[in-house]
Amino acid sequence: MTTTTAVRTAARVVDAVKVYGRGDTEVRALDGVSVGFPAGRLTAIMGPSGSGKSTLLHCAAGLDTLTSGAAYIGDTALDGLDDRRLTLLRRDRVGFVFQAFNLVPTLSVAENITLPLDLAGGNGDPEWLDALIDVVGLRDRLHHRPSELSGGQQQRVAVARAFAGRPDVVFADEPTGNLDSRSGEEVLGLLGRAVRQTSRTVVMVTHDPVAAAHADEVVFLADGRLVDRMESPTADKVLDRMKAFEVSS
Amino acid sequence: MNAAVRLSVSSLRAHKRRFAGTFLAVFLGVAFLTGTLVMGDTLRASFDSMFGNATSGTGAVVRGADAITTPGESQGVRQPVDTALVNTLQQVPGVAAAAPDIEGAGQLVGKNGKPIGGKGPPTLAGNWITDAKLNPYQLAEGRAPQKSGEVVVNRGAAEKGNLKIGDTTTLRTPDPVKVTIVGLATFGGEDGMAQVTFTGMTRADAEKYLTARPGEASSIKVRAGPGVSEKELVGRLTPVLPKGVEAITGQATAQENTDMISSQFLTIFTTFLLVFSGIALLVATFSIHNTFAIVVAQRTRENALLRALGASRRQVTATTLVEATAVAVTASSAGLAGGIGIAAGLQALFPAIGFPFPDGNLVISALSMALPLAVGIVVCLGSALMPAARAGRTAPLAALRETAVDTSGASRARAVTGLGVAALAVATTLSGVLVSPSIGMAALGTVLALVAFVVLGPVAATTAVRILGGPLHKFRGVTGGLARRNALRSPKRTAATASALMIGVAVVSLFTVFGASLKATMDQTVSRSFAGDVAVSTPSFGAGGSGLSPRLAGAVQQLPEVDTAVGLGRGVAKVDGRGRALTVTDPVALQRTFDLGKVDGSLRDLGTDGLALTRAEAGKQHLTTGDSAQLTFTDGQKRTFTVRAVYGRSELAGDYVITRAAWAPHRTQDADTLLAVTFKHGVSTDAGKAAVQKVADRYGSPEVQTRSEYAQSSAGGIDMMLTLVYALLALAVLIALLGIANTLTLAIHERTRELGLLRAVGQTRPQLRAMVRWESVLVAAFGTIGGLGLGAFLGWVLVKASDGAGDSAFAFAIPPVQLAVVALVGLTAGALAGLRPARRAARLDVLRAIATE
Repeated sequence: MTTTTAVRTAARVVDAVKVYGRGDTEVRALDGVSVGFPAGRLTAIMGPSGSGKSTLLHCAAGLDTLTSGAAYIGDTALDGLDDRRLTLLRRDRVGFVFQAFNLVPTLSVAENITLPLDLAGGNGDPEWLDALIDVVGLRDRLHHRPSELSGGQQQRVAVARAFAGRPDVVFADEPTGNLDSRSGEEVLGLLGRAVRQTSRTVVMVTHDPVAAAHADEVVFLADGRLVDRMESPTADKVLDRMKAFEVSS
Repeated sequence: MNAAVRLSVSSLRAHKRRFAGTFLAVFLGVAFLTGTLVMGDTLRASFDSMFGNATSGTGAVVRGADAITTPGESQGVRQPVDTALVNTLQQVPGVAAAAPDIEGAGQLVGKNGKPIGGKGPPTLAGNWITDAKLNPYQLAEGRAPQKSGEVVVNRGAAEKGNLKIGDTTTLRTPDPVKVTIVGLATFGGEDGMAQVTFTGMTRADAEKYLTARPGEASSIKVRAGPGVSEKELVGRLTPVLPKGVEAITGQATAQENTDMISSQFLTIFTTFLLVFSGIALLVATFSIHNTFAIVVAQRTRENALLRALGASRRQVTATTLVEATAVAVTASSAGLAGGIGIAAGLQALFPAIGFPFPDGNLVISALSMALPLAVGIVVCLGSALMPAARAGRTAPLAALRETAVDTSGASRARAVTGLGVAALAVATTLSGVLVSPSIGMAALGTVLALVAFVVLGPVAATTAVRILGGPLHKFRGVTGGLARRNALRSPKRTAATASALMIGVAVVSLFTVFGASLKATMDQTVSRSFAGDVAVSTPSFGAGGSGLSPRLAGAVQQLPEVDTAVGLGRGVAKVDGRGRALTVTDPVALQRTFDLGKVDGSLRDLGTDGLALTRAEAGKQHLTTGDSAQLTFTDGQKRTFTVRAVYGRSELAGDYVITRAAWAPHRTQDADTLLAVTFKHGVSTDAGKAAVQKVADRYGSPEVQTRSEYAQSSAGGIDMMLTLVYALLALAVLIALLGIANTLTLAIHERTRELGLLRAVGQTRPQLRAMVRWESVLVAAFGTIGGLGLGAFLGWVLVKASDGAGDSAFAFAIPPVQLAVVALVGLTAGALAGLRPARRAARLDVLRAIATE
């Protein structure tokens, strides 16, 4: 577990194709993408609007199905799973952080964090949950309702929820898209810490080079294809790479 | 097109589904109302034409001028006329024919040995009038009766009893008479006069079996010669009539008959149905109000945007009102069509269940179209008024905020007002029930209680759902917990949704409690005042049947097993000018078989000029023992009676008692209504009952009942009534459930993103469905329990108010089993109402739900 080039991937897609519509209105959102997301790392997916980055995330996470190709969480192939199995897989092995509306308004912060565990009918690992609450720094807010929290706090609750069940992989879809830069920085720092301190895997879609710089690796998509990968990114390097897209297109 | 209208139309087009529930609620209510009105008019018209046809040949009717009516009976009893008068009348110029009409009670026994009819509509027997034009019945098959024992029966009765021409059967007059059917008759072209059965016998037979003395007839029918109008005929007849006898036109008798049917049956029937359509529409009001309130809340942003862009308050309000009007007009119009459909369906159904119903067009009056239309529109618009006003008050700034769902409702002001009204309601009711019994006060209290329930609803909803949903979290985990929270989200909405069901359940429980109390009262009456071992009784429900043979009591008395057998007959007389029912019996035996309470004076020697009466009646008439009272009998004779006894309990025994000997000179067709029998010591009930039944079989085989059977059969009509009430209330409950389903559907629409999130983080479809269903059950549980409480309270009020207002004691009973069934039905219905919204919610596509703005 010491080498960073471990072959184990937490999630991957192989020859992923996703077609929306038919005939004249056909859109190939994903056009033969193969990519693996190594375990224990924070991977960012970047690309211009319409490049298919959100579609990739949704398909890899089992929220959407591929037109052709295969998607895996760990060694489990997602195609061929019915709705029930997919739901159970999401519940037990995957975590989610969305751009907005991450929390159930009728539940308290604590209940939102344990929601996937409660849905599964289990109790989770109390020590882990306790540690998690400290990591996201919300101990004094546990009994508040989401509407009583700021946007940044709400996203931190969402992150805690995503990690609560110790999932194989957490998918984050523009987690800082709705936040000011300071709150965004907090949330990104939190994701980064979670990956490095607890060996979790995070796959994050973003269009913000600063956010991408928190990742261990960035994969670039354009027109539904994987066009580049970048290890140890910085905001400047990512920005340059993104500019190159605009020139080429 | 103006802007408000254009906006409404586009909004309606976009959200047709949202208004499906509202549409259905108005549609059902209006259809029911229209159907009732059209049905009532059609029935009235058809009875009109039926009586018109049947009596078209009768120019005038000669009858006793004075009718003695007793409380609770509208028709009255007239003095018979002397049949010798027929000859005098025939001599009057302009008279073509005159025939005596002898009318009495006579119940046919069907092929299977069971009596035909007798549970409501009268069972009549009379002489077969040979003048075809004077006879309201027309011979349809066979021939008229010519010798003793031959009869014609109306076709409807023959069919019901499976009797054919040539069959021999028994006619209870009430003494059993062996009769052979020689003909079948129709009435005004129909198989019978509604459900009334008729047996026509020869005049001699009729005089022998149906009158107390030969030479008497109920009336004389007279046919006018050519060119003589009914009025002229009456004018010519009147001078030759003896004192106390009158002549009226045939048209007037037809009108009297129609009026009688109207007041005794049609008016009750339609009023009854109108009350229930009113309840259904009241329930609909809540559902409709809720729908509009939610729609307006969901559209806050849109309305705010309109306001920001310069729309006036009035324009925004108008937009909602125009929508409501569109829904109201469409649904009400559809309801009218539906109502006519219901009436047509019933018209087709009535003959199928053996209720002769004249063919002919439905009578659709302007009123029965305009009224339901107006009610439908007023209900719908009235319910939308408050939400529309709220829409107009939307602040332009609201466009910039997150959509806020209305969560208010449990305000302090509301709680205080509600509690105030509730306290007032309880105070009014209690004073109306306990302090100075008055139905008016009790009714006012009832209305106030209803208002208090509606005002307090949102306050109570929070507490109630919290408590009711408490165990859910334990049983159903987070799914149950979420369902409970969702039900708690908007107390106002939960309360309004539940209120609709609450009212339905309250009325159901009210009737259930009242019905049970009535039964308990009858049971108590029998067990308290009936000291006999077995009873032979005629159906207590309605006027049908022909009673018991007065000779039955004597025959039963001869049995070695029997200690006392006492028959109770019924007579009428005016007591100091007021019509009263008399109990004609053997007072000494009566005292042995019935508990009459405390008796002043003695029942031992009433003789032919003594009477006994209840203490309550004595108080009203200011009579005590030793006083004298003048009784006027149906034969016009006046006799002075001395009050020899005053007794305490009137149940079963009646208010006035005279001896058979005193009644004999004035009697009409003789019949007992009840025979009470006590056995000698050591005779088992079974053995005694069998012995009595054996004797009863010789007298038309009426049923012999033990005490408990007798109590039960007395209450039999109540169950029938309750079944009908439940069937009618099903509509109101259905509308309430549509309301729950509709509210849930709208709420799900509102929570699309949240549902998507839940699905994304691992809520399975079954869990999601269960969550919605449990929410539905919780709302239904709140409504059901509230309704049960309210209904039981109102039932208690009704019973106590009736108890206080009437003379006889009224028992209050809560039927736990029936109420448990009502609760169970309410909860099950709630789960059913949640099925469709739950399915729709579970079909949500996770990705699209998350993406929904």
